Amino acid sequence: MRVLASFEWSVIWDNRGPLWHGFTHTIKAGVVGIVLAYVVGLVLGAVRAHRIPLLNQLAVSYVELIRNTPILVQIFFLYYGLPVFGIHLETFTVAWLSITIWGGAFMTENFRAGFEAVPARLREAGYALGFTPVQEFLNVTLPIGGRIALPSTINSAISVIKNTSLLLLIGYPELTYVANNVQSNTFRTFEMFTALAVCYLAIVWTLSALIRFLERRLALPEAL
Amino acid sequence: MNPLPEWFRPIAEYILREGVPETLRMAAISVIASLVIGVVLGTLMTIRFRPLQWLIRLYVEVWRGLPILVTVLFIFWLPAFDVGSRHVQLSAYQSAALALTLWGSAQVAEATRGAVQSIPKEQHEAAAALGFGWVGRQVFVILPQGLRRLVPPMVGLLVNLIQNTTIAFAIGVNETLQAGQRQFENVSSGLTGQTAPSYAPFLIFGFVALLFFLICFPLTRLAAYLERRLV
Repeated sequence: MRVLASFEWSVIWDNRGPLWHGFTHTIKAGVVGIVLAYVVGLVLGAVRAHRIPLLNQLAVSYVELIRNTPILVQIFFLYYGLPVFGIHLETFTVAWLSITIWGGAFMTENFRAGFEAVPARLREAGYALGFTPVQEFLNVTLPIGGRIALPSTINSAISVIKNTSLLLLIGYPELTYVANNVQSNTFRTFEMFTALAVCYLAIVWTLSALIRFLERRLALPEAL
Repeated sequence: MNPLPEWFRPIAEYILREGVPETLRMAAISVIASLVIGVVLGTLMTIRFRPLQWLIRLYVEVWRGLPILVTVLFIFWLPAFDVGSRHVQLSAYQSAALALTLWGSAQVAEATRGAVQSIPKEQHEAAAALGFGWVGRQVFVILPQGLRRLVPPMVGLLVNLIQNTTIAFAIGVNETLQAGQRQFENVSSGLTGQTAPSYAPFLIFGFVALLFFLICFPLTRLAAYLERRLV
């Protein structure tokens, strides 16, 4: 193919500045989003697993609402819908907030499943030792259930990273935004998307390998 | 009694008439194409022939690993190319459907591989003993059992594809979100003639979200129900 024959590595090298800039923005929004999504997921996952009245119903509504609407619609809703109430958010705020809200819903489900997989007799053993419900959660359910949930939460974290690309549509200058800009100025489609693909696949494949490693390392003995 | 305010009615009608059918059509096309390609690739992946396995594995990991938006933009910006004597230039709609199919077929291939490998070896052997060839074994014995296990995750895939059609927004396909956005632009530039209240964008994007919820929520419940029934 002619396009491949004219592939110029120098195009990627010459644009390393903007690409690096975009990469840092992707990582910035992604890391903030993932950390906060873990917090949301842990708390609401505990609420769901222990069926704490009222909070449980609220958590279910939140999870179902987020899982059954596209994240792009959620981003637009935050970006264009909230200002009408005088809530003007910066682009970066919408960026991390939207992926936190989305990721939090998925992590809630991951942690709920993990916590519910902890056998009841282990929890009862905790109570028999005189633990309060909070102590029981921190000493029994969290370490065992969290361990069960960990691989699937990393899967959600991968999705959060991939979703940062959608922030291009509200003008957050992340990796896809930058690469798309460069390619529309230079028509270097193959070069720019090669760079993009390498960056995303490097992150995603590394995290996938981590999941496989953890699944082997953390596998609980059958007899649990 | 009409629950919708006067200014909002044409907006809602436009989104329902233009956007929603486009969304559903694209989701239907890509889910069917994903199923066909994915089941074939997933079945081929169970053949013990390393180069083929690696090739399909690469396909799966690449299209599953890339954000769909990146795939959509890449295909959309590809320069026109020639297939034989035909000059091919994909439209925005075709680019988005193709990108969704690449992503979806990777998901299906991986799920199919797992389902096929979960069928006990004895089934293969029994079918072979009855005189079935490899294709006959797959088509008449293994896949009918494996595909049953695939039904719940495939309903989940449909939900994902319906939601992911919104990514086609980026290249101007008039799906549900784009239809909402165009109405929002009309309203904010005063093109509609109607005076819209300041909370219009809140209502428009809320309406778009509601439509997706009404389509996706029953399907999510269905997937959960099928999952429970299978176990």
